[in-house]
Amino acid sequence: MSSPAAAPPTRPQADRPSKPPPPIGVLVAIVVFAGITVYSAVGIEFTLRPLWEDVNRGREIVARYFDPNWAILTRPAVREGFLETLYIAIIATLVGCILALACAMLASKVSAPNTAVYRFVKLALSVLRSLPDLAWGLLFVAFVVDGPLAGVLALIMFNIGIVAKLTSESIDAVDRGPIEAVEAAGASRFQRGRFAVLPQVAPNYLSYCFYVFEINIRASAVLGIVGAGGLGVVINILVSRLQHEDLAAVVYALVIVVFILDQASRAVRRRLT
Amino acid sequence: MTSPQRPGTGTRTRPRPPSRTRSTVWLVVSAAIVLFAIWQVDARWERFGNIVTEAPRFIALMGQGVIENPFTMPWSEYWSKSLALMIESLQMAWIGTLIGAVLSFPVSFLAASNTAPRVVVIVTRQVLNIIRAVPEIVLALVFMIPVFGLGPLAGAMALGVGSVGTLGKLSSEAIEGIDRGPLEALDAAGASRLQQLRWAVVPQVLPEIVAFWLYRFEINIRAGAILGIVGAGGIGSILDQLFSGREWGRIGITLVVIIVVTVIVDQISARVRQRIIAGPGAPKAARMVREQVAV
Repeated sequence: MSSPAAAPPTRPQADRPSKPPPPIGVLVAIVVFAGITVYSAVGIEFTLRPLWEDVNRGREIVARYFDPNWAILTRPAVREGFLETLYIAIIATLVGCILALACAMLASKVSAPNTAVYRFVKLALSVLRSLPDLAWGLLFVAFVVDGPLAGVLALIMFNIGIVAKLTSESIDAVDRGPIEAVEAAGASRFQRGRFAVLPQVAPNYLSYCFYVFEINIRASAVLGIVGAGGLGVVINILVSRLQHEDLAAVVYALVIVVFILDQASRAVRRRLT
Repeated sequence: MTSPQRPGTGTRTRPRPPSRTRSTVWLVVSAAIVLFAIWQVDARWERFGNIVTEAPRFIALMGQGVIENPFTMPWSEYWSKSLALMIESLQMAWIGTLIGAVLSFPVSFLAASNTAPRVVVIVTRQVLNIIRAVPEIVLALVFMIPVFGLGPLAGAMALGVGSVGTLGKLSSEAIEGIDRGPLEALDAAGASRLQQLRWAVVPQVLPEIVAFWLYRFEINIRAGAILGIVGAGGIGSILDQLFSGREWGRIGITLVVIIVVTVIVDQISARVRQRIIAGPGAPKAARMVREQVAV
């Protein structure tokens, strides 16, 4: 491991061995790091000036967030937005995780029928993962017209990418013993996966499913911004009307809901692994 | 576990399979929840057929856009424009990650139970949880764009603040996992509290924490690619227009740029991450780098 960044304090003690010069790799890394940082900062015109120059504009808006209009939460549209977000997340998690299990089996050297399939599925998964959830949302809104169905489909694609990747890595790490035993007993491909691989990765797999459920709640809350149903539709309308007090209440409520579900899912995951 | 059917010689002596009541109950409950959701949500499932009828046509149009000669005029411009905006997304992700790293580093010491008092730990942890509950895009839409105006700066700030939640949590867990030996040694040598952190804790956790930064950078690339949809800079800013204009050829190009650039940067970052964790000597040995916190 390369040494941590800073040098020890300079104490004038002659009897100490001189400190070895930093390895060339670290120097190169620091130069590359600084270069990219400067390039990026210039590229996006980074400045913190708005924080104090436009402080009044900022303060005015931030102040409105301390005065949330809780009444909006009782409106049917908002309530339905929350429920729809939850439904989208639940359906997408279930379907996505089931499909992901099949993909994971094909994406691990241990369980894939041959190398070609394994390589192809791995590549397909990294393509699935590289498109962000909202990009999937845009695509499916175009394919099936806006509404929760587009949101569900978008999250399913996104979930397959994540869960299949994580699960296939767990499959890579399974103990080979049971596989050999099952093979020796003359099991078919499917039986091998079902009785030798699956039991070993089941706890991890379930934990990934709960993990992706947490992600889905957050994602389905914003998918509506591109028209894919759920709370995002409400958020979008409130933003365009600059109703910050109403928006504040919705965002706070969202944070609370996500927080509670996160904690619940976390507790389940802790028991699983 | 049940076993497949076998010629039964000693069926009587076999142990009874463990009870399945618990897992069955869980299965029924979750199935009920999902069915309820499917029944409640107004998803117009019949539209699902469009995937089969419409999508292939759109995908073909996208493919056409991609294979169109990228050196002739309108197309070359599409490619270079998409690439330039994708680079802006990367820049946002980089600066955002840096902001997140700078903010989360001190915070993670406050959130680790072996470096901060209990009350501070509990409060800090909850603050981190709250940050994690807010999607970046909401953060951009609600706070950063009003303060920083439309553009990549707002996006970078949203990514930065959004990163603090995960980075603080992961880093504090790394700090909690340190070996206490060096701490005690420094304590015995009469080091102050701050010196102990600097010389016993930081060197132990720095590689792992830097790996978390890189890992968060990978996530921020994806987030940075869509923040533009709400006007916060990057390649997302044209995606929305393209989709509402149904310009499938250009959509195809833009998506290809997003996918290719993301995959390449991911690969580089993953290599660097592995090397930081495993050291130069062991490129593949330590593949168990905590991937599982991904996305």
